[in-house]
Amino acid sequence: MRILSLLALAFMCVFAACSDSELVSMKQLSSGAKLYEQHCSNCHQADGSGLALLIPPLQQADYLTNNALLLPCLIRNGAAGAMEVNGKIYNQKMPGNAKLSDAEILDICRFVLQKFPEKPISLEDESLTLALQKCDSVGN
Amino acid sequence: MKNTILVFACLLVWACNQNKTLPIYGERSLQTFEKEGKSIIDTVYATVPPFVLLNQNGDTVTEALVKGKIYVADFFFTTCPTICPIMKKEMLRVYQKIKGDENFVLLSHTIDPDYDSIPLLKDYCNRLGSDGKQWQFLTGQREVIYELAEKGYYATAMPDSTEPGGYVHSGGFILVDKQSRVRGIYNGTDAKEVDQLMEDLFILKAEKE
Repeated sequence: MRILSLLALAFMCVFAACSDSELVSMKQLSSGAKLYEQHCSNCHQADGSGLALLIPPLQQADYLTNNALLLPCLIRNGAAGAMEVNGKIYNQKMPGNAKLSDAEILDICRFVLQKFPEKPISLEDESLTLALQKCDSVGN
Repeated sequence: MKNTILVFACLLVWACNQNKTLPIYGERSLQTFEKEGKSIIDTVYATVPPFVLLNQNGDTVTEALVKGKIYVADFFFTTCPTICPIMKKEMLRVYQKIKGDENFVLLSHTIDPDYDSIPLLKDYCNRLGSDGKQWQFLTGQREVIYELAEKGYYATAMPDSTEPGGYVHSGGFILVDKQSRVRGIYNGTDAKEVDQLMEDLFILKAEKE
């Protein structure tokens, strides 16, 4: 009985440790994971390994580490032309995702930046939102 | 008594698995042949019809390339955002398995020949890491490819403006034996089915003609 009450106390401590903002971000990450599977994993593969020299990897990609704030626009508008990732040049056109909402794109960004770079990248929600707004106003 | 039956059942299953044979797809018919003055009735199986296509180097490729060989065919297009990249990742696994063994060939056919030019297919082939011999990328007249897909390989390929990328096609890997008969169709986006294909390749290799 004593062990049970100790366990219960331990659980309560763990839940208390999760602040509201952390719970929100867990929700966003799992939504991002689902959206990644639906919209990105066909090409970049479920494990982010890409496809040979045709589709760049996300896993351990220096491009993500160096250009995290370009990600929202990349997802929205796609990409064309040469792109260097981990020392290799890729040149396949990436289609845009015009149908995804702002919130969905930001969820994917958060998931991708947590899951794939060498060190997980946490960006302020404001900076991601601003990046997305900027790419819309430039219209590229 | 019960145990004896069980042991026999197990033996039977084991014995059957030792000689796994693959089905032969398509219609078959009985035909009468003349041999040494006698008429013999034999079964004739459906085969992949002869074809004339171009590969990623612009060279003409016909059924002669795969004569007496075991090959896997599939249908794709280079700008396909849906199942193709997964299929190509899986086909890359098959390629790595058969590389260097001249019994095997892989043929990937584009279903968007207007966009997928020969230089584009060449680039695609190089970037995938294929040597361009054992794994070739084929193009030709649109109608010819669609008819070959449908009638030769039991696959679907057609334009569809409602699909992302503009085409609908099956993600099948079609296994063809040394006598041009289709012996298996596997889902090219399912790693387990592709594992099975890689085993079945060697069943066909061991098969007597």
